[in-house]
Amino acid sequence: MHTQINLVQDVLGWNQLKSFLEPAIHQCIPSELSSFLKGRQIIFGSGESKIVPIQGWTSNNKNVNAQVMTIQPVKEETTVLGVDSSSMQIAETEEGAIYAVKSGIATAILGKILAHFKMGPMLFYLSEDTLKHSELDQRIIKLVLLDSESAKRLIRIRVERAIQLELSHHFSGSILLVDGSLRSSVFEHRMHTLKKVVEDCSLYNNTIVGLSKSTKIRILDKISHPLTKIKGPGFMDVDLIIKSLTRNTIGDSLMVKFGSSYTSPILRADISTSDRDRSRSFGKILGNDSIARGYPETLQLAHHISTFTTTEISCLKSHILNKYDVIELVPEDIRKKLLGSIPV
Amino acid sequence: MKILYKNSTDELILIAMESDAARKGDYLLIHDEKVKKKMIVQIYNEEYLSSQSLIEDIVKDEVVVASSVENSHDPLDIGRLSRMIRDARLFRTKIRASIDSESRFSNEITWLPSRVDSKIGRMRISEINNLVKRTGLYSIPLGNSGWDDEQFEIFAEDLDGKLNIVTGKKESGKSHLTKLLIKSLVEYGAFVIVMDLNNEYGGLAWNGDGTPSPLNKQITILEPGGGLGFSLDYCGKASISNMLKNALDMPAASLREFIRIWDWLENKNTLDIEALGNAINTWNTNELVRDALISRYHAICSSGLFVGTPSINHEGLRFESLTARNNQGLALILNMGKAMPVVRRMIVELVLTKVVELLGRSVIPPIFLFAEEAHLYVRDTYWEDIITRMRHFGIYATFITNQPDAISDGIYRQVDNIFLFNFTNETDLDKISKVSLADGDTVKSIVRTLPQRQCLVIGKVVRDLPMVAKVTASNLMALGQTKTFFKVKSN
Repeated sequence: MHTQINLVQDVLGWNQLKSFLEPAIHQCIPSELSSFLKGRQIIFGSGESKIVPIQGWTSNNKNVNAQVMTIQPVKEETTVLGVDSSSMQIAETEEGAIYAVKSGIATAILGKILAHFKMGPMLFYLSEDTLKHSELDQRIIKLVLLDSESAKRLIRIRVERAIQLELSHHFSGSILLVDGSLRSSVFEHRMHTLKKVVEDCSLYNNTIVGLSKSTKIRILDKISHPLTKIKGPGFMDVDLIIKSLTRNTIGDSLMVKFGSSYTSPILRADISTSDRDRSRSFGKILGNDSIARGYPETLQLAHHISTFTTTEISCLKSHILNKYDVIELVPEDIRKKLLGSIPV
Repeated sequence: MKILYKNSTDELILIAMESDAARKGDYLLIHDEKVKKKMIVQIYNEEYLSSQSLIEDIVKDEVVVASSVENSHDPLDIGRLSRMIRDARLFRTKIRASIDSESRFSNEITWLPSRVDSKIGRMRISEINNLVKRTGLYSIPLGNSGWDDEQFEIFAEDLDGKLNIVTGKKESGKSHLTKLLIKSLVEYGAFVIVMDLNNEYGGLAWNGDGTPSPLNKQITILEPGGGLGFSLDYCGKASISNMLKNALDMPAASLREFIRIWDWLENKNTLDIEALGNAINTWNTNELVRDALISRYHAICSSGLFVGTPSINHEGLRFESLTARNNQGLALILNMGKAMPVVRRMIVELVLTKVVELLGRSVIPPIFLFAEEAHLYVRDTYWEDIITRMRHFGIYATFITNQPDAISDGIYRQVDNIFLFNFTNETDLDKISKVSLADGDTVKSIVRTLPQRQCLVIGKVVRDLPMVAKVTASNLMALGQTKTFFKVKSN
């Protein structure tokens, strides 16, 4: 039997407790810092948003052996279409939740933004009843009913794919810019899959490029270091690394820099082009879209028009209350109630 | 419209959508159906509903729309709702009165209407008039007021025995309103004296087309050397002494000598201008005193305010004769536009002292005195005398000025009615908001944005419920307009 501690009667009990707890914690995760951190490069962040060093990780990396290709703008009239969307949970019922989705398409030709198309906000109610007749797998139904993040992702992917599919066969010789990587998802509708989008793009001589502002694959940040050594736009192939780490990625995976300074951001790009000439496709993007702060302006605009404003959220709530004969209950923030509401 | 919150002891903030149109100065009735009470509030300012996020949304949208052509598919029509929110207004209102469950009107408000159950609607001017029992026999239609442009009138009874101020910046419509007031008072048989600094009130006698106005025979225009002349005997020792002391700054020693000369001439029954001059020249007195007397005598002679020896044909101005001849009402316009500043002061001293004396003897009826830019011809110390002592005799003053700071706080404290036209100058607004009968917020916010010929009426004429009035245009002849070089040249 272990030694029993009585904190009320024995004031030394705390010291005893400390002597047990300290080695227990050190045992579960090694906490030695000094010997491992000495001489390392470091950046501080909360971990919630992706941050990278302005001039990349400058230490020698053994994995760096990819060739850097420079990009020259191609002034050939090509329509560039940037597509983005966002979704959010608006309300909950006992059986499900209401989600809103908003999408934006922005177009540019020869360096000028032509027009943009704002879709939504649109509302979707996900509950057992509404999903009963869907073609979704039962496990996915359970997942989206239990996890609102998955539900938001499902709605956003489905709406985005539907838009991408329509654009892919209604335009030809164009470039379709998509926010995020070109990865098939289990949330896709069987009629509106990314594969189908890529196929249609190929059929109609379109190029589809998925641009990720950040990647969860940490090694890519290190690998892309050579791109910080060139001043102008460029790209390097990381297809082998991506394919070895992830499944379902479509097209060629690259690290690309659109900006024309050493410190311009480096993005992960998945590209599918019918002529396989990636350099020319990126050149067309540079020649037809305008690049602001190292990111295509069509995608920036599509992002801005697809994000929800505070006013829109209030309007959506008001719309639901007015149109659907619902009874509003007083909400309670459990976290705030339990932890108190001292502002920090 | 809904109540949003209460800001201070007497302010309610209401939220209104585009369809809930109302203007500054409009009255709203908040009806709390549960407690069966009503609250009367007045809008004094209108603002956008504004929050940081709303402003950010608007800026973001504008940037997006400016950068490319917008097309949209909005199946739920959320954009329309969003535009409604962006266009929502906040009405800042002042609580003015309350009506209890037994329909009793009160200015004391000790309750707060429900935000949920209250219904809010615009009040008509006629409703307010009925509630505050604003009625009378002698109506003075001033123009229109309220959202529906209802007729707005005040009652002559509410000007009777009262002290009034008409103020506003240049060319805001002060003289126009004053003419309407004078016209109505004379029509109702009142006796009005106008101290006319710009020789413009003579236009009351004529229509805009040059034909005589209905008041033509009741308007008497007088000016020094043009009917405004008194005999020394009629003025009396008190009036002349006051004039010498206050308008001509005669020292006390010289004044005593003057009174001796006056008494001597009076005893000899030879009191006239010529005899006074001779007496001063031959009077056995100190040379300095004589010089003082002679200089004042010359001022008196050159003023044109005194007639020589009274005769049957030319006895000088007598107020009692004028009022007796015009018992249907009279406006006595004292044109002072061409008079020297010292002569203006002499006119004011003589007229007021004489009128007070006549009123004291009940020889003339009470008079309404309209004094335009009075600070230019009435001494500071004389103001309070006009508004305190004289009104007990029966002189009811209305001051017209574009310099609110020219009137002392003492007068503002006793004022009964204020007709406030537009002011944009911050100093003027500060002054008027501090001293007026209404709260500073209302005065500052409403007065700043009043268009020409609209005024905020405050005081007893509106039963202490400030109202914005659009003063009606009159067909009287406009005199006293600015004489411009290019207009003259083109003519």
